[in-house]
Amino acid sequence: MRPTRILATAVVLALAATATACSETKHKEPDDNNASQSDGPKKKGGSVTIANTAGQTWTCNFNPFNPAVYNTSIGFVYEPLIFVNALKDQAETPMLAKSYRWNADKTRIDFTIRSGVKWNDGKPFTAKDVAFTFNLMKKTPATDLYALWTTAGLRSVTASGDDKVTLKFKAAAQPYFYAFAHQVAIVPEHVFGAGEAAKKPDTWVDKKPVGTGPFEVNPCNPNNIQYTANPDYWQQGKPYIQKVQYPAYLDNGPANLDLANGKAQWGSQFIPGIKQFYLDKSSDNHTWSPPVLNVGIYPNLDPSHPDSSNLKVRQAISYAIDREKVARIGVGGQVPAANQSGVVMPTFDTYYDEAAVRKAGFDKPDPDRAKKLLASLGHSPAKPLKLKILSITGYTDWDASLKVIKQDLEAVGIDLTVQTLAQQTFIGRLYSGDYDLAYYNQQTSGPTPYYELRQMLHSANTAPLGKNATSNYERYKNPEVDKLLNEYASADETRQVEIVKAVAQRMIDDVPVIPVVEAVDWFQYNTKDIGGWPTEDNPYAQPAAYNFPDTGQVLTHLYSKSAQ
Amino acid sequence: MRFLLRRLGFFLLTLWAALTLNFFIPRFMPGDPVDALTVRTRGRVSRDALEQMLTSFGFKPDENLFVQYVDYLGHMFTGNWGRSIGQTLGEPVTSLIGGALPWTLGLVGTTTILAFALGTLIGTVAGWRRGGALDAILPPVFVVTSALPYFWVGLLLILVFSEGTGGLLPANFNYDTSIVPGFSPGFVGSVLSHAILPAATLLITTVGGWILTMRNNMITTLAEDYVRMARAKGLTGRRIMYGYAARNAILPNLAGFAMSLGFVISGAILIEYVFNYPGVGYLLYNAVQNVDYPLMQALFMLFTVAVLVALLAVDLATVWLDPRARS
Repeated sequence: MRPTRILATAVVLALAATATACSETKHKEPDDNNASQSDGPKKKGGSVTIANTAGQTWTCNFNPFNPAVYNTSIGFVYEPLIFVNALKDQAETPMLAKSYRWNADKTRIDFTIRSGVKWNDGKPFTAKDVAFTFNLMKKTPATDLYALWTTAGLRSVTASGDDKVTLKFKAAAQPYFYAFAHQVAIVPEHVFGAGEAAKKPDTWVDKKPVGTGPFEVNPCNPNNIQYTANPDYWQQGKPYIQKVQYPAYLDNGPANLDLANGKAQWGSQFIPGIKQFYLDKSSDNHTWSPPVLNVGIYPNLDPSHPDSSNLKVRQAISYAIDREKVARIGVGGQVPAANQSGVVMPTFDTYYDEAAVRKAGFDKPDPDRAKKLLASLGHSPAKPLKLKILSITGYTDWDASLKVIKQDLEAVGIDLTVQTLAQQTFIGRLYSGDYDLAYYNQQTSGPTPYYELRQMLHSANTAPLGKNATSNYERYKNPEVDKLLNEYASADETRQVEIVKAVAQRMIDDVPVIPVVEAVDWFQYNTKDIGGWPTEDNPYAQPAAYNFPDTGQVLTHLYSKSAQ
Repeated sequence: MRFLLRRLGFFLLTLWAALTLNFFIPRFMPGDPVDALTVRTRGRVSRDALEQMLTSFGFKPDENLFVQYVDYLGHMFTGNWGRSIGQTLGEPVTSLIGGALPWTLGLVGTTTILAFALGTLIGTVAGWRRGGALDAILPPVFVVTSALPYFWVGLLLILVFSEGTGGLLPANFNYDTSIVPGFSPGFVGSVLSHAILPAATLLITTVGGWILTMRNNMITTLAEDYVRMARAKGLTGRRIMYGYAARNAILPNLAGFAMSLGFVISGAILIEYVFNYPGVGYLLYNAVQNVDYPLMQALFMLFTVAVLVALLAVDLATVWLDPRARS
């Protein structure tokens, strides 16, 4: 849950572990994890333990509309219509919907619902449940987590027969597909349409979730959720794994400790000094953390902040920073460097325009160019420009990254002061625009770079200083970019790639945000008994256990080697 | 009697002041529950939906603050503490605290009493045999250990006794998660073995203070005339040590002990984090992190009442034990 939150305890632990780590060299055995990937069905058996810091004891509420607990139920018990793989160019896997069709202008979508699926209480699943789920969000706005009936412009949802559901929108809605088909979990009408659940679907405590998914909750207590395989799961012969244990870790330290000593096999948080602390402990320990977003410097573009709104200053900062060095020293080489176009690589290479980045000189650090830019403003290392950057207390990897950035900027004539604030204070100042520079990352990724770029750059997501901006914190306003982003919804795929490239070009020209390193999905896995994990060669889902509904994909791929 | 009434009046006044501060301070802190939830849900979820959700759970951002304050004072006394609007969104505050408090009371309470008893005993003996072997070794050692940071000692113990022994002593959780809680020997054993390391950490870091103060009080008391008188009467050393010296030397420590009992309820945040022990300490930490007003209010109220009650008890005990306080 807290991908970048590292308490001092974890650091101390890591240091302590290094001191005691074996000094003998271990050679990695070849990983047979992928070889057996396509070998068809597996025998059932085995159990997997998840170490994903929850930061609280479990409340044993599995209501998929409650954002405090939905990632323990969606993917495990509740399922979406279509699974969209953000790591594989939006590859789709039909789940509760067999297929769908858009009309020509993308304002209407018809889903064909899978037949023969049963809820885990034995009742049949039909198109009516799907229509009920969407209409529930209209009736109770608190459950409309993705603003489908407002922002996305959903107008009506109707079921016809047992297997057809039609959604109609006010305008082209293709970019919202990821939200309504992939993130919305379908709930049973016979549970959510009766009694307390029908009256208050948002606050109702769902103790025994009735879903269509591969697992059932059995039992849950404050320390641990135990999931057992759903014997009547609609994917024949799956899930192979029969039990999932999900202990409630209050902090990263204990969770990482259990990963290192093998008590847990599926990790989802940052491990400082991962090589000595985790990878060297066993040849079965692996890590793969795919990048999904940018972490970078958000400059305040409002004219009342003369330095950060000066294009030359921003260009100088972007030229001066050695991004590879920041990734290597600041985050221990566990994340890749970002690039000025804002397209996350290698995840979205289809959309990346390397030539454009090179043409602008952003392909490698260029301190001389930064010096020239600053000199034209009358600054030099002897007479530096003073700037202040805000960051969050306790994000030790950010602290380390900013140290490297500070050094790089010092060399070209910028004196950077880092101020760390408590998360709440930081968020307040970032949202309201009360800062010069801030180090931050967008929180939510999508299956293409469009989603992050839109959050960062569309003027609808900003607000005047003093008012809260949703995600365009730097206050960038450019009608041309808005137009491009608005066109994306009704464009075909070729044009969508063009649009992303055009917007990325504006990132390069205007430097509204300065991406430094990439934010990743933290993921560690142990292959001693468990195979079938998502890997770099087979990225069939986002691997961290806090990603739903991706957990559902991982859980139906995993198998126990000892049971074969 | 007049003394008691004065004390009670003071108690009530302090309680009201604390409850008032407890209501206003969190609300003037930076941060907003909706922002906190937005961050925690990674911005995936629409802000309107989150506001609606919080409203359904009883969060009223737009209501007049004074009306809220009056409501709050009433609710604090009736036990109607509302539902969490933070990390444990929608869970009744009473059940959250009910789930965490027994663990904290068990672990921190037992350890505090144990540390006081042990420290007093060692301090008494050390003071009695001033300059002896025990006095030369134990107090200096424990002065050092009390200066060590909690979490550091905790991590060291985990390293040596849990990692170093291949998991002989558990390093996290309050019981083995694979055991279904109930009054079975396995469960009770599991609870005890899981408490060993956190309890040892607390003991090592708190016992030193009691030893030192007790030893010094002993030395002061041993110089008193009534001790010389007891010696002159030819009483046994034991009798003088416990009946004459220690009995009077412990009085100044009682206040401190009662205070620390009052603080038991607030748990030991760092210990609970290091050992993944689901007590009240981490609840408070999360409540503050996530701007969870209902949970924060209830917890601070409990801490305040506990400390105030402890102080009141000290006052009464002192009057009862120490004739000098009555004049």
